[in-house]
Amino acid sequence: MSVPYRRKAWPSWAAMFVVAVALLAIGSTRDSGPLNPGDRIDAISRRVACPVCDGESVFESRNPASEAIRAEIRASVYDGVATDDEILSAIANSYGGKVLLVPSSSGFDALIWALPAAGLMIGLVGLWFAFKRWRAEAAALGVPTEGDYDLVEKAREQHRGTSDD
Amino acid sequence: MSAALGNAGLLIALVAASVGALATSVAIIGENRRALRQAPMYAAIIVAGSVLAVVAMQWALFSRDYSIDFVQRVGSSTTPALYNVAAMWSALEGSILLWVIVLALFTGGVALRFAKRRDDELVAWALVVMYVVMTFFALVSFGPASPFAPGATVPVGFDGPGPNPLLQNHILVLFHPPLLYLGYIGFTVPFAFAIAALITGRVGEGWLLETRRWALLSWGLLTIGILLGGWWSYEVLGWSGVWAWDPVENASLLPWLTGTAYIHSVLVQQRRGMLRVWNLSLLVATFALTVLGTFLTRSGVINSVHAFAAGEIDGYLLGFFGVVVVVSLGLIGWRGDALRAPGRIDSPVSREGAFLANNVVFALFAFIVLLGTVFPLLVEVFQDRQTVVGAPYFDRLSMPIGLILLFLMAVAPVLPWRTASAGTLRDRLFWPAWCGVASLAVAVMVGADGLAPLLAFLLGGFAGGAAGRQLVLATRRQGLRGLVGRANGGMLVHIGVILIAVALAASNSYTHSATLTIGRGERVEWSGHSFEFVGVSTEVTARADVVMADVLLDDTKVYAPAVTTYLQQGMTVPTPSVRTGWTSDVYLTIDGNDPPATDADEVVLRVFVKPMVLWLWIGGAVMAIGTVLSALPSRRSRRPTDPTSAPITSGQHV
Repeated sequence: MSVPYRRKAWPSWAAMFVVAVALLAIGSTRDSGPLNPGDRIDAISRRVACPVCDGESVFESRNPASEAIRAEIRASVYDGVATDDEILSAIANSYGGKVLLVPSSSGFDALIWALPAAGLMIGLVGLWFAFKRWRAEAAALGVPTEGDYDLVEKAREQHRGTSDD
Repeated sequence: MSAALGNAGLLIALVAASVGALATSVAIIGENRRALRQAPMYAAIIVAGSVLAVVAMQWALFSRDYSIDFVQRVGSSTTPALYNVAAMWSALEGSILLWVIVLALFTGGVALRFAKRRDDELVAWALVVMYVVMTFFALVSFGPASPFAPGATVPVGFDGPGPNPLLQNHILVLFHPPLLYLGYIGFTVPFAFAIAALITGRVGEGWLLETRRWALLSWGLLTIGILLGGWWSYEVLGWSGVWAWDPVENASLLPWLTGTAYIHSVLVQQRRGMLRVWNLSLLVATFALTVLGTFLTRSGVINSVHAFAAGEIDGYLLGFFGVVVVVSLGLIGWRGDALRAPGRIDSPVSREGAFLANNVVFALFAFIVLLGTVFPLLVEVFQDRQTVVGAPYFDRLSMPIGLILLFLMAVAPVLPWRTASAGTLRDRLFWPAWCGVASLAVAVMVGADGLAPLLAFLLGGFAGGAAGRQLVLATRRQGLRGLVGRANGGMLVHIGVILIAVALAASNSYTHSATLTIGRGERVEWSGHSFEFVGVSTEVTARADVVMADVLLDDTKVYAPAVTTYLQQGMTVPTPSVRTGWTSDVYLTIDGNDPPATDADEVVLRVFVKPMVLWLWIGGAVMAIGTVLSALPSRRSRRPTDPTSAPITSGQHV
């Protein structure tokens, strides 16, 4: 076994895994959220729709109605009392639920969360059935004979040196 | 005069397309070889008619022919010449005319490319499909969305408002829509061949090979069109973002997602003869989604800043969408037995298994984007209330999908066809995985935090390492020729995608902003930068008044975020000023509703510090180069008897 090949053995992979997990742990646990009030105002205003624009968020819109909501958010953030969700609830109470850009997870709106999950399940189950059927088909073909292997080896020898793609 | 010429051009295109569709169909069915050889002639007439209509429209815009309603709405003597060209696609009727000319050019291109195979039924039926699609759009343009409809009588000295100010203050408006349309409409060609293959029963791999480069070209153009849209948004709209998950943006993303799935899964069919129904369905979906997107953005059923004013073509577009879906699915059902795949995928841990997983993820992504886009409509229909689905929803669901796609991009290129052993994976993924860890380590060292962006850097490095490994192997064997061809050009595209993904992860996660009030001559420090308000300068033209706040940034150069008041429309548009850097951009804007007076003592400056934005555009350029290289033929063409994967020898370990 060559030296480069030994380098790629499982212990090296385990070391790599440990390093990656450690780095992820260091990076993700020092997550301190928005660094300043401006960032927090932006984060909240991205979740609110401009009440009079065509599909823009308060963050994007330069409409006076959006400026007014942004001013409300700014005031609440600088008050330092309410959480982000509480600020959003207050805005929803003032302007109606339709200004919230994230649909709720109850009632009819829950479909927008449930359908993608259902789609994922259908995709996974479909793949599982497909591979099950293909495995059954392969099993039905039986075990390759020595003659089959000889044929394949002969063909490979003829075309040795081709790429691995 | 312009209206008469334009209408004549559209009528010529309409008649040539409809007669071409009918005559070619009759010739194929009647096996009339002589008539069949005439089929490409109709394409030439369609091109001539469409060019005439576009030239007439451009002439009408340049000569301010206010006898035409469309010119009354988007023409103006104050519009600069370049934006006058773009005025054609700034409103619904002109955008359909742009669709007509691009489709005509693609139809002409197909007729020219396959001129020597005029007798071939597959080519003839493909032309019929192109003619049918052309008939539809020429009909819409000649009828309900006519750009040459007469306007009301206008007083002497009348001058129109010109295009929307947002469409005349950045050069990218000249390129973004046409490239997007080239991408959308280009997919008509593989769609037409797919339908032709179903009609003729030649559902093998021949039609795929015929259309591989057309599909790749269309995908590349659509990609560049979408990226230029993001760039335009960044440079013009003043909110510092490139993508807002707006319904119109989503309408362009949907065919891109299904098109991306197609250009991957088609490789499985070419190599293994499998996934025939799936590939046909993806092509039908891609074409149908371009029509659906056109309906959504031109019918007024969804709210979007990008959407055109509601027109009278929604019924036409919805009807055409229905016909496309029903006819295509009917043909797939009819050829069901012939489409049955002769082979099977031996193992999920194989190249084809990875492509299949890639397709499931892309299909799910497209479903989520479609659902989020039309959900407000569903709520209105079933609950009679209004709701908005915005960026936070799409961000939340697209983040895990993006991470899965990065993982697949890392693993798929090293997987052999048919099956892979654990030893093969351990060997081939070793250095790519270390690239991922190194990328993560660099990110942590420079202070990156948050699990999702860190995973993006880890997987981005991993995928970049895998693509780099493939390119290193290929160039070792073949020199620079190793960068050419489907597989290796594709790896360059992957590197472009990875750059974009990493740049998006960084800019979305680590952008900081502040609103700074700075007195004249005062110097304010924030986020490692200094800002000094130098003064206010103005620029007055016949078209617009511009007020600029001059800000000295980091004691090096003056940047001038501006507010432009367009006189014809009475509309103010803030224009950001951006210092672009390798690691981060500094993005400055001022309030469009309250621009500073020339003698203002202070200015209210909105500042964004955005990391890695430049790498979005570099990634786009790499993708474009990679697409071109992957469309070029590689040196060695693989024979069907070639082994699907070469054995690994110790000398090949990388």
